[in-house]
Amino acid sequence: MTSYIIRRLLLMVPTLLGMTFMLFAIVRFAPGLREAGQANAVQGMMQSKQAQKQEQLLVAERLHLVDKNGHPISLPMQYVLWLKSTCEGHLGTSLEYPEPVLKLIEQRLPVTLTINLISMIVIYLVAVPGGLLAALYRDRLFDRGYGFISLALYSLPAIWVGSSLLGFFANPEFFNWFPAAGLHSTNTESMDFFQYIGDYFYHITLPIVCSTYAGFAFLSKQVRGSILENLGQDYIRTARAKGVKGSTVMVRHVFRNSLLTLITLTGMSLPGLLGGSVIVEQIFSINGMGRLAYTATLARDLPVIQTVALIGSVLTLLSYLAVDICYAMADPRVSYA
Amino acid sequence: MPETLSPAARTPESTVPPQTFWSRVRSRVFRPWMVKFCAGYIALVCLIAIFVPFLATGKPYTCIIPAHHGVPMRREFPLFRDLTSVSWVLLVVAAALAAQTGYGILTRRLPPDLRRRRRRIWLAMVTVAAVIASVLIVTLHHNQLDATNYRSLAAHGEITHAVFAPIPWGYAAMEPLGKNLINKLPSQRHWLGTDGDGRDVLSRLLWSTRVAMGIGFISQFIALAIGVMVGAMTGYFSGIVDILFMRLVEIVESIPSFFLILTFVAIYGRHIFYIMVILGVTGWTGYARLLRAEFLHLRQLDYVTAAEAAGLPLWRVLFRHILPNGVTPVLVSASFGLAGAVTIESSLSYLGVGVRPPTPSWGEMLNAAGNPATVFHWWQALGPGMMLFITVLAFNIVGESFRDTLDPRNVNAG
Repeated sequence: MTSYIIRRLLLMVPTLLGMTFMLFAIVRFAPGLREAGQANAVQGMMQSKQAQKQEQLLVAERLHLVDKNGHPISLPMQYVLWLKSTCEGHLGTSLEYPEPVLKLIEQRLPVTLTINLISMIVIYLVAVPGGLLAALYRDRLFDRGYGFISLALYSLPAIWVGSSLLGFFANPEFFNWFPAAGLHSTNTESMDFFQYIGDYFYHITLPIVCSTYAGFAFLSKQVRGSILENLGQDYIRTARAKGVKGSTVMVRHVFRNSLLTLITLTGMSLPGLLGGSVIVEQIFSINGMGRLAYTATLARDLPVIQTVALIGSVLTLLSYLAVDICYAMADPRVSYA
Repeated sequence: MPETLSPAARTPESTVPPQTFWSRVRSRVFRPWMVKFCAGYIALVCLIAIFVPFLATGKPYTCIIPAHHGVPMRREFPLFRDLTSVSWVLLVVAAALAAQTGYGILTRRLPPDLRRRRRRIWLAMVTVAAVIASVLIVTLHHNQLDATNYRSLAAHGEITHAVFAPIPWGYAAMEPLGKNLINKLPSQRHWLGTDGDGRDVLSRLLWSTRVAMGIGFISQFIALAIGVMVGAMTGYFSGIVDILFMRLVEIVESIPSFFLILTFVAIYGRHIFYIMVILGVTGWTGYARLLRAEFLHLRQLDYVTAAEAAGLPLWRVLFRHILPNGVTPVLVSASFGLAGAVTIESSLSYLGVGVRPPTPSWGEMLNAAGNPATVFHWWQALGPGMMLFITVLAFNIVGESFRDTLDPRNVNAG
C-alpha cells in the first residue's frame, strides 16, 4: 500500500511539471502579451508616455518577461522563474484589480463553495434514491421514466434554462418572485440570523435549480449500474440462499458494495466544487470563481488565469490520487501490490 | 439455459446469411421508436445545415428582369450566384454521400464479397472526385456580396416572375429601422418574430444549424483522430511510450476544460475554425483512454500475433486488424462528445466569445433574447433553446441506446 502511494506520487511529478509547462506555454505564446501592461486603458491615457513605459516595464518584470534592469529573459528561464515564485507561494498580482491573486480567490471561493455544496447535497438526495429505485424496478415503468426524464434534464442547455428562469421568474413583466442578481439584499445589517439565512436562500434558489438539474442523470445512472452489477454477484445468491432477510441483503450486501462507486464519483467531483460554473454565475451575476476566471480571460489578466487554472489542475490530480487510496482502503478486494 | 438447440430451431438459421457484428448492433440499437425518431431528427438537422441557403434567403431562385433602355429581357438566378464556397462544398459533400448510398442500394443484390469490393472502389472514386471538386471550388470561387433587396424590387415591378425561398429572409437581412418591426412577436411576415436588429428569428434559427453541426462534427472528428492515434500507441506499445502519453492525457484532463477552451478562444481569437480545433484538441482524452483499454486487451489475442507473424507492417496491424475490433466504445462516446461539443459551442456564443456576428448561433440568439432581468423576449429564446435541447437530447439518446446494446451486462436483455 505504502509503495503504491509512493509510486503514484512519483508519477505525479512529471504530470505536474508538464501541466505547469502547458499553462505557461498557453499564456506566453498568446499574441499581444507585450501589451499586457496597457490593460488599464483609462489609467494609461492619464499618464505621460514616460510613466506609461514605466508601468509597462513593471508589469513585464512581474510576469518575469524582463529582469530588474529591463533586459529580456529567455523563455526557459522565464518558466523556471515563474515556477520558482509559484512554489514559494507568490502567485502574482492581478493586472486588472490592484490586489494579489490569492486575495481575490479568497474573496470568491466561499461564494462558489457554498452554492456548489448545496447543489451537490440536492443532487445526491435525488439521484441516489432514484438510481436505487430504478435498479430495483429494472425495465419497469419507473426505471424507463426516470431514466428518460433525467437524460432529458441532462440535455437541457443551462444557458436556456438560466435565462428563461431569470426572464420569467425574476421579471416584473411576468412573475417577480425572485431577485434577479446577487446573493444578498441591501439591508442585510438590519436582519437577525434567521432572516439572513432566509434571505440568502431566497437569492440562491434560481442558481441552485440551474446548477442541479443536469447532475441527476450521471449519478443515478452510475448508482443503478453498480447496484445491478452487485445484484448479479454470487455472494448475493449465497446470502439469499442461507435465508438472510431481503431488506438486510439489500442494505448490507448490495448497497454497501455500491458505495464504492459513490466514493469514486464523489472524489472525482470534488475539484468541481471549487471551480464554479461560468454560465450560472454569469447569468445570475454571482461573483464567484467562475466569473472571476471568465472576466480574467476576457481582460487577459494573466496571473489570475494561470493561478485559477493551476489550482484547479492540482486539485484534480490530488483528488484522483485520494480516490484511488480511499478505494484501496474501503475495498479489501482491491490490491495494489 | 440449455446450450444445445433442437434441429428444428437450427435449420432456419443456417439458411440466413451470417450477420456481421455491425448489422446486428445496428438493428438492435435502432429498434425503439424513440431512437429511430432521434436519428431521423439528426439527419433532418444535417440536411437543413446543408440546404439552408435554399430554405432561408432573401434571394429569389430565379427572376426575370424586363426589357428596359434597350437592354433585352433576361432571366437571372440570384440565389445560385450568391452561394458561398462553403455552401458549394457542402453540396458536393451531400452529392458524394448520396452517390455512395445510391450505389449501395443499386448493388444490394450482388453477392456480399463482390458488393463490398465494388463499393470500396466506388467510394474511392467518389472521394477523389469530391476532394478535387472541393479544392477547385475553394480556389476558384469568389464569394460575392449581393446587397440587392430583391423583395422591394419585386414589389416595385422591377423584376418579375421571381420565385422566392419558403422563408424569404437571409440571416443578416434587417428590417428597415423606421418601420417599427424590431423585437416583434411572431406574425404572418416573420413566423417566429424578429430580433433586436429586425432580423428574422426563424431564418437565423435554421442557419445556426450550420455552426452547431459543423463545430460538433468537425471538432469530434479531430478529437477522434488524436484520441485514436494516442490510444492505439499507448495500448499497443506498453512501457515508456505508454507512461509518457498517459502523462499527457492526465495533463490535458487535469486542466478544467471549459476554462481552457475559454482561455484559448479569448486569447487566440473567435474564428469558427479555431473553435473547432480547440474543442478537438481539448476533447480527445476520453477516446484515448477507451481505445487504450481495448488495445491492451486485443493485442494479446492470437489473431494479432498471427498478423504480426505474417510480417504485416505495423500500421496495418494497428489500424486494419486491431482498430476495427476495438473502435465501438469510442464511437459510442463520440455520440456523447458531439452533444457536448454542441453545448460548449452554444455556451461560448452565449458568453460572447463564440463565432463572430452576424453568423448566427443558437447560443448567441439566446444571449440576444435580451438582458433577461429587464426585458425578456421569450419568442427569441424559445426557438434556439428548443433546437439546442432537442439536438443534444437526440445525440444523447442515440448514444445511450448504443451503450445499452453494447454493454455486456445487458446481453440477455436484447
